[in-house]
Amino acid sequence: MKLTLKVWRQKGHNDKGSLVEYQAKDVSPDMSFLEMLDVVNEGLIKKGEDAIAFDSDCREGICGMCSLVINGKPHGPELGTATCQLHMRTFSDGDTIVVEPFRARAFPPVKDLAVDRSSFDRIMQAGGYVSVNTGNAPEANANLISHHTAEKAMDAAACIGCGACVAACPNASAMLFVAAKVSQYALLPQGQPERAKRAMAMREAMDDEGFGNCSNEYACEAACPKDIKVENIARLNREHLRAMICSDE
Amino acid sequence: MTLKLDGKVPEGPIEKKWDNHKFNLKLVNPANKRKYDILVVGTGLAGASAAASLAELGYNVKVFCIQDSPRRAHSIAAQGGINAAKNYPNDGDSVWRLFYDTVKGGDFRAREANVYRLAQVSASIIDQCVAQGVPFAREYGGTLSNRSFGGAQVSRTFYARGQTGQQLLLGAYSALMRQVGLGTVEMYPRREMLELVVEDGAARGIVCRDLTTGKVESYAGHAVLLCTGGYGNVFYLSTNAASCNVSATWRAHKHGALFANPCYTQIHPTCIPVSGDHQSKLTLMSESLRNDGRVWVPKKKGDKRSPETIPEDERDYYLERKYPSFGNLVPRDVASRNAKQMIDDGKGVGETGLSVYLDFSDAIKRLGLDKIKEKYGNLFDMYHHITAEDPYKVPMRIYPAVHYTMGGLWVDYNLMTTIPGLFCLGEANFSDHGANRLGASALMQGLSDGYFVLPYTVGDYIARTKLEKIDGSHSEFARSEAGVAELTARLLGVQGHRTVDWFHRRLGKIMWDDCGMSRTAVGLESAIGQIRELREEYWKDVKVAGSADDLNQSLEKAGRVADFFELGELMCLDALHRKESCGGHFREEYQTPDGEAKRDDQNYSYAAAWEFKGVGKEPELHKEPLTFENVHLAERNYA
Amino acid sequence: MNCESASKCRVTAFMTSSLGKKFTVGAAGLLLCGFLLVHLAGNMFLFVGEGAFNHYAELLAHNELLPLAEAVLALLFIAHIVFAIKVRFENAGARPVAYESYDDKGGRTMGSKSMSYTAALVLLFVIVHLKTFRFGDDKDGLYKLVVDWFHNPLYAGFYVVALAGLGLHLSHGFQSGFQTLGLNHPKYTPIIRKLSIAFALLIFLGFASMPIYFGFLGGPR
Repeated sequence: MKLTLKVWRQKGHNDKGSLVEYQAKDVSPDMSFLEMLDVVNEGLIKKGEDAIAFDSDCREGICGMCSLVINGKPHGPELGTATCQLHMRTFSDGDTIVVEPFRARAFPPVKDLAVDRSSFDRIMQAGGYVSVNTGNAPEANANLISHHTAEKAMDAAACIGCGACVAACPNASAMLFVAAKVSQYALLPQGQPERAKRAMAMREAMDDEGFGNCSNEYACEAACPKDIKVENIARLNREHLRAMICSDE
Repeated sequence: MTLKLDGKVPEGPIEKKWDNHKFNLKLVNPANKRKYDILVVGTGLAGASAAASLAELGYNVKVFCIQDSPRRAHSIAAQGGINAAKNYPNDGDSVWRLFYDTVKGGDFRAREANVYRLAQVSASIIDQCVAQGVPFAREYGGTLSNRSFGGAQVSRTFYARGQTGQQLLLGAYSALMRQVGLGTVEMYPRREMLELVVEDGAARGIVCRDLTTGKVESYAGHAVLLCTGGYGNVFYLSTNAASCNVSATWRAHKHGALFANPCYTQIHPTCIPVSGDHQSKLTLMSESLRNDGRVWVPKKKGDKRSPETIPEDERDYYLERKYPSFGNLVPRDVASRNAKQMIDDGKGVGETGLSVYLDFSDAIKRLGLDKIKEKYGNLFDMYHHITAEDPYKVPMRIYPAVHYTMGGLWVDYNLMTTIPGLFCLGEANFSDHGANRLGASALMQGLSDGYFVLPYTVGDYIARTKLEKIDGSHSEFARSEAGVAELTARLLGVQGHRTVDWFHRRLGKIMWDDCGMSRTAVGLESAIGQIRELREEYWKDVKVAGSADDLNQSLEKAGRVADFFELGELMCLDALHRKESCGGHFREEYQTPDGEAKRDDQNYSYAAAWEFKGVGKEPELHKEPLTFENVHLAERNYA
Repeated sequence: MNCESASKCRVTAFMTSSLGKKFTVGAAGLLLCGFLLVHLAGNMFLFVGEGAFNHYAELLAHNELLPLAEAVLALLFIAHIVFAIKVRFENAGARPVAYESYDDKGGRTMGSKSMSYTAALVLLFVIVHLKTFRFGDDKDGLYKLVVDWFHNPLYAGFYVVALAGLGLHLSHGFQSGFQTLGLNHPKYTPIIRKLSIAFALLIFLGFASMPIYFGFLGGPR
């Protein structure tokens, strides 16, 4: 396959970026999208040019490090797939592909296609945990949790923190990410003692980072490589309302 | 300096060793803990759990990770589960049985006392993770669910779908984030440790590169914890993440930390095969697939017919033929080695000839399509997605891939390396798995080290050692920083013709061919020669583009590959010196008449710990004898 | 925050939070949906005849609670609009550099994508509507006023277009309100989403039937 790539190049946080055109030749349909970029980069390095910077690590769709908006779609056209598991057979010979970083005020650019998603870590620091010190734990089977509840909590916990929800959202809102974490703990008995505090604190941290507001367009759900559902967002809305109105914390 | 390896295994019967030891460990006054800075490098299960636990105790902790967030560490990719001797299913499990299975599974090349402690704390790990809100699988009655894993006779594996590693890591990560929020941990993401700083013989700090700005930074502390994972990427292709590397432990090794058993490599038999030269990583599929899939190759060499047109009597179900009682369920290393043998004989299938079939058509006939879908649906989908072949219709193709490295920095019972104040946890150390790791034990070890061992032993070190307060302005730091800058300049200065990846692929091929699933003296000697040549060529002909002062991923890789060359040579040396076969180390010269690994307990019942003597110089071997007082030495036999 | 009491502080905190603002927009929006239903029911008297319609209008106009109802309605409108505008501007700031190409992978609908535009159209419509009917000259009865205006094809045309905008707005807004209030359930949400389309159609067709009937189908004067 032969492809034309239009890749966003940006030296650093303070520089203005632009799309730069590259030709990708001898692309095998079995390559992953990132492997295709690897090949382009090898060519650039041989010519002495700076390689295209992009984040990736596990390359099996679980670490959440890879990003990229491909032809306007976070993680590319396939549903339920992270960029690292997107294969070139999805594209056709001769295609032009526009590759951009995840864009949001709360994800400031690092270089080229790499952005800084530490805002997610800071939201987690605000309340994305159960306060239990090592050694304090009761016997694991002391608390019974129904199969159904455990499965629902797991559905929410499957979030890989990639930020595709933010990238896809017309408002760059982080609701799906925050909702997934709040939901996991709200569903489980372990999360109950800090339930109200968590919902308020994580929402506040999310607002402070400069993410947009949710307008219930569900583009996040469609872009999520792990199929996290927007029913979690409704749960976050509920949890937050409950915390603000009922809790005296 | 002559080094004497002291494993510091406590006295007493094995059941009492850890308890006695905990009592004998010195404690640090709670009010004083905040005066001690502890540097934790790596945020996988071991690093994140250790950092959070130490911060909870009151220490001042600084944490470094190579990715953009601590949550991305490669522990996240572990699928299967985590073992614990809870005996919930009432099927006869116990601490003793888990201990026994682990020592035996490790082919009697692990330190008994460490393994016993691992089995002892395993139950607490599950308690801790559940309390953190890890959504383990549950029975309908609400209790935790268990499954049997990797051929174990008991069901002791806890799991969260196929994402156990992810959920455990997110548990440890959330504990870590809580401490960052409380101000007890300072988090430094996108940092790569490039040098260990040793002052007066003790580890006192690290030098790292801020990967986004290129700035070289120094951090001082009272103890340094390396939790930097395994080195499977020396093979270029492995199931490891792209950034997994050996540099942190290797540079500590160059400062005097001994590197033990580097040749013990676990190769997983059921990975999705390589599709071409562009391949950057291999994807693992759970080995549970072998419960119902039948492994075969065509009897005829170079048979290019499509699988469904090959009649039954022209197929060789070689595992069932050679191991009638275990059949397709032989251990990982046996399955891997046999696949390689078939492929070396020219019977490999697929376009590249680098795979064997794993056929479910009989199972589909026997159990029905729905049952197979229910059991393996997600794995089949993943396979279909990656290869564009439908495994419900055509047999899967599988090939072995490097998955885990049992070797690592030598540590004593306290998880301290031969450099005082330098601790090593998780896959990065050599301690608990011997020559071969059992399935679902890696997660257990990472969390055992971080949650339940290290918080005690670090305190003991700090309480017993007089350590002057130092900071990054100390002269030793300046020297290390200059060394790092020099190495960077050297890598950027070569300006040759070949990319880092080109060299890495070459190195990986040499390692895979001669230091992979089966090894010979001739092959290893040739590999050492080839690696040395390639390393020389590397420093003459590598091309690294870009600059040192921003995000430069090719520069990052260049430094890591430089270390892989040196490690690769040591792995071959270690494999060459170990004139026996054991676990993940199979020497063709040492096998039983049935082709099984043949241990030599008389001469090789020791951990081989190597001391660095300079690049290209023969390292010095130190032996820690392994004695087995509680588990009887026995030969593995699967025929 | 400097607050007189903890509870007041909590209210301020809620109302200034992202979720609080959305809650206000959603709750006010759903209440306005209720108003639309009642309004539509009343308007149906138009088809019954002049007498019935004028009688209904008189009854409404002389109800002592009318000023209160109107005040509440105005408040709902203002809250809905003010908070929506606030949210809209914040959202614009959340992505300072726009995508060169942007395409969602699903989820968004015509209604959701056009919310700001339909909102502007509806606002314009409400102003025109109030000016002509609420504050128009109805000394010959409201029926005559309305029907006369509807016989103006330009006015009737504008009416129909604006109501289509309202329908589009509601197709997203109705179900969105439930989601914002936290009312999402695997069993009921698919129904609510369908109901949202049905409600939008009902409001559009119901209200538009009058200008269409009088303006284009030769309905009597």
